[in-house]
Amino acid sequence: MPTPLRLTVNGRPIEIEVEPQTLLVELLRGPLALTGTHVGCDTAQCGACTVLVDGQAVKSCSMLALQAQGRAVTTVEGLARDGSLHPVQEAFIACHGLQCGFCTPGMMMTAVDLLTHQPQPSEAEIVHALEGNLCRCTGYVNIVAAVQQAAQAMATQAGSLS
Amino acid sequence: MTAANEAGRYGSGQTVRRIEDPALVAGRGQFTDDVVLPGQTWLAFHRSSMAHARMVAVDTSAAAAMPGVLAVYTGAELAAAGVKAIPNPAPFRRGDGSPQATPPRRALAHEFVRYVGEPVAAVVADNPGAARAAADAIWVEYDELPAVADAASAMRAGAPALCAEAPDNVAAEMRHGDAAVAAQGFARAVHTVSLEIVNQRLAPTPLEPRCVLAAFDSASQRLTVRLSSQMPTGVLHGLCDAIPGLQRSQVRVIVGDVGGGFGMKTGLYPEDIVVAYAARVLAQPVKWVAERVEEFTSAVHGRDVVSRAELALDAHGRVLALRVHSLANAGAYATATGVAIQLLIGPWVSTSVYDIGAIDMHYTAVLTNTAPTGAYRGAGRPEAIYITERLMDAAAREMKLDPAELRRRNLIRPEQMPYKNAMGQTYDCGRFEQILDQGLALADWAGFAARREAARARGRLRGRGIATFLEWTGGNVFEERVTVAVTPDGFIEIFSATQAMGQGIATSYAQLAVGVFGVPIERIRIVQGDTDRVQGFGSAGSRSLFTGGSAVQVASERTVARARELAGEALEVAPADLEYAAARFTVAGTDLGIGLFELAAKQREARIFIDSTSAVSGPSWPNGCHICEVEIDPATGAVEVVAYASVNDVGRIVSPAIVRGQLEGGAVQGIGQALCERMVYSSQNAQALSASLLDYALPRVDGFRAFRTEFDTSIPCTTNLLGVKGVGELGTIGATPAVVNAVIDALDSAGLGRDAERIQMPLTSERVWRALKRDFGPSPFA
Repeated sequence: MPTPLRLTVNGRPIEIEVEPQTLLVELLRGPLALTGTHVGCDTAQCGACTVLVDGQAVKSCSMLALQAQGRAVTTVEGLARDGSLHPVQEAFIACHGLQCGFCTPGMMMTAVDLLTHQPQPSEAEIVHALEGNLCRCTGYVNIVAAVQQAAQAMATQAGSLS
Repeated sequence: MTAANEAGRYGSGQTVRRIEDPALVAGRGQFTDDVVLPGQTWLAFHRSSMAHARMVAVDTSAAAAMPGVLAVYTGAELAAAGVKAIPNPAPFRRGDGSPQATPPRRALAHEFVRYVGEPVAAVVADNPGAARAAADAIWVEYDELPAVADAASAMRAGAPALCAEAPDNVAAEMRHGDAAVAAQGFARAVHTVSLEIVNQRLAPTPLEPRCVLAAFDSASQRLTVRLSSQMPTGVLHGLCDAIPGLQRSQVRVIVGDVGGGFGMKTGLYPEDIVVAYAARVLAQPVKWVAERVEEFTSAVHGRDVVSRAELALDAHGRVLALRVHSLANAGAYATATGVAIQLLIGPWVSTSVYDIGAIDMHYTAVLTNTAPTGAYRGAGRPEAIYITERLMDAAAREMKLDPAELRRRNLIRPEQMPYKNAMGQTYDCGRFEQILDQGLALADWAGFAARREAARARGRLRGRGIATFLEWTGGNVFEERVTVAVTPDGFIEIFSATQAMGQGIATSYAQLAVGVFGVPIERIRIVQGDTDRVQGFGSAGSRSLFTGGSAVQVASERTVARARELAGEALEVAPADLEYAAARFTVAGTDLGIGLFELAAKQREARIFIDSTSAVSGPSWPNGCHICEVEIDPATGAVEVVAYASVNDVGRIVSPAIVRGQLEGGAVQGIGQALCERMVYSSQNAQALSASLLDYALPRVDGFRAFRTEFDTSIPCTTNLLGVKGVGELGTIGATPAVVNAVIDALDSAGLGRDAERIQMPLTSERVWRALKRDFGPSPFA
């Protein structure tokens, strides 16, 4: 039975009706046409569907859309601000942190969560944070490097603002 | 701007920001499932739960009656409609001289199912949930038959046969070399070593599952098929061969972003036929997106070869003969590619960088009740090189020689180039000892004893492994067609039928074009994946830069040459009097000139267009020296890669960061085979036991990342004008033997000696722990 759902997606208020069994990722990719969030598996292993819910990284294949009632969802499409890439996006390009780009949105959302809550993570903390995200192309070498570079860039940005 | 400046900043040899990336990091990629067409419907498959069975009945009535269901298809209906099995041109033969044998690989199983996950029926519905539910509601009555999952068991007397043409389950076999000559080598050998080697089955697992979206336009009678594929043109031909009445001119195949391929997305799949067929019959767009479990059970797997391998050496460690007898598991349907990979492509590189004259190889491709095997990163070369490098280490251990020294004594010398190997393959160039020396220096080979001692003090076993090796690239398809269009709005559009799949080929092509045109890289647009534009072989076998890039270079130069003629006409001067730089022709010694894009605007078609076909003259032979160090925790058997140094000859380099990414990302896949990956089928009933990412262990971020990777660019390939060699598979091929040799070295140091060589991949902590207790499990031939 379609059920009303109100939430914010990338800062935009959304009012929509969804079936109770609809997954958050299905809402995002389907009715909301936010196809940057990808589905790479059926067991919540790959992390390609990771989005932020109230600032926390969540695998959107493992959450019902209705569980996002009243909450704020950020997808990869919501990372850039005023036409400028987020430092994490910028760093993934600069460090060659992506090849095919399929896992990349989920990797970046996980990284944004990490850097929001732990602005200067150690390499071990980065590795721990990214353990739920699979990449088959890069061997993770440049992904970890990109997160490190993004942390530096965000620290510099924060410094210049204060 | 000047041409020199643009080429200096963006041209060949520079690390640039990939032109693919801005869209991908913004979530604006166009993977096939990101495309939604008006009126789109969804298709779901019902798949076989049995590994081998006769199909007694398929009841689709309940499914057909479910809400939202538009159509249900079975194998019987497709066969009645004239849909043919996937054509399988097979140049190979069985031992008795009869043609390669395989059951027909149908779009949907008919009469028999032969592996778990084989598509049996399909449902089209107006939403994905309804399609899935209805597919699950299909009921199939099976008469279950005995099943066999591994090649050695399938060849035994009394094993269940997969088709009448092959009562022994042998699809094809092939012998190479001269068994008598090799036997002489073994007869006069001072040292011989013999190994049983398992190259376990792997699931390629690109992160993007397969997806097909087909739409039929009734007005034009044309079928447009969008899918995630490395070979759009091959898919077009395959669809037309399978679907009755479908003409080649009626099909357009479009490929958007591809979320990884690794060879798995090279051929036509049964599912592609079903989706295309349904779209044509229903005259509505039909989409199928594979679930991960479908990828594990029905996409092609790689490797799965068991071998007995022997090496004969003289007193000085010079190899006298190489003997390899292998059983390759072809799966339930022997595909032309899968068989060629094992029977031919692997053997091409078996003697590798070594001067080995006498070979005796016997490869047998065997049918089993498992998913078909096909191309996976390296495709035959990883298996062959793994065998040779394991033998080299075994021989060094037997002779108590430094494994690097034994290799050195056997390397082909530069003055032997071009060198024809025992399989008749000609290496155009290579300085293998130069690569070896650099590898040993980079890895601090001489300083290993101290590192081993330090590890011992920490209670850990440290081992060191080396692989010196080469591989073959090019796919043996050397011609490429490229079109170039210079448009008045200031862009140069280059179309190639090779296919991007994450390897950054668009960026590399753009860099080559910058070098020719002298324009900023933003002015170059690389377009791929549309069979209405240009058709070609596609991307496989590490061929794209080497064949496609060379073709882009030639096409770009032809475009400037044509533009020079047009500029001569426009300026009423002899073309030879014009100088070209930075998108502008000028009359030498004057300020008279015309811009390239302005010139395009003046043309009748408002563009300058070149349709260019060119070819390289042979394959490329990238090579390297990879050295790995591991540490083992003897209490748990856990293996940790602690150092990895490699020196690689990939010829000249266009995009340094991309090449390094290919090498290191590829090496992690090779480490995955060495340490954790294995596609498992039950030996009892051939059920797939590792059909999810919960069960199949992919390398994760906590694995090894601290690669030291160097390139020797002083040995350009001579078969193409760029001097480049393929790089997509080199890292994967080198890593597996380097890691395994290191683990065996560590086990040897724990007192196992040559017994350590009995361990088989993947080197999980359990297997290493058991090996330390002299428990190696049964022989793979047992």
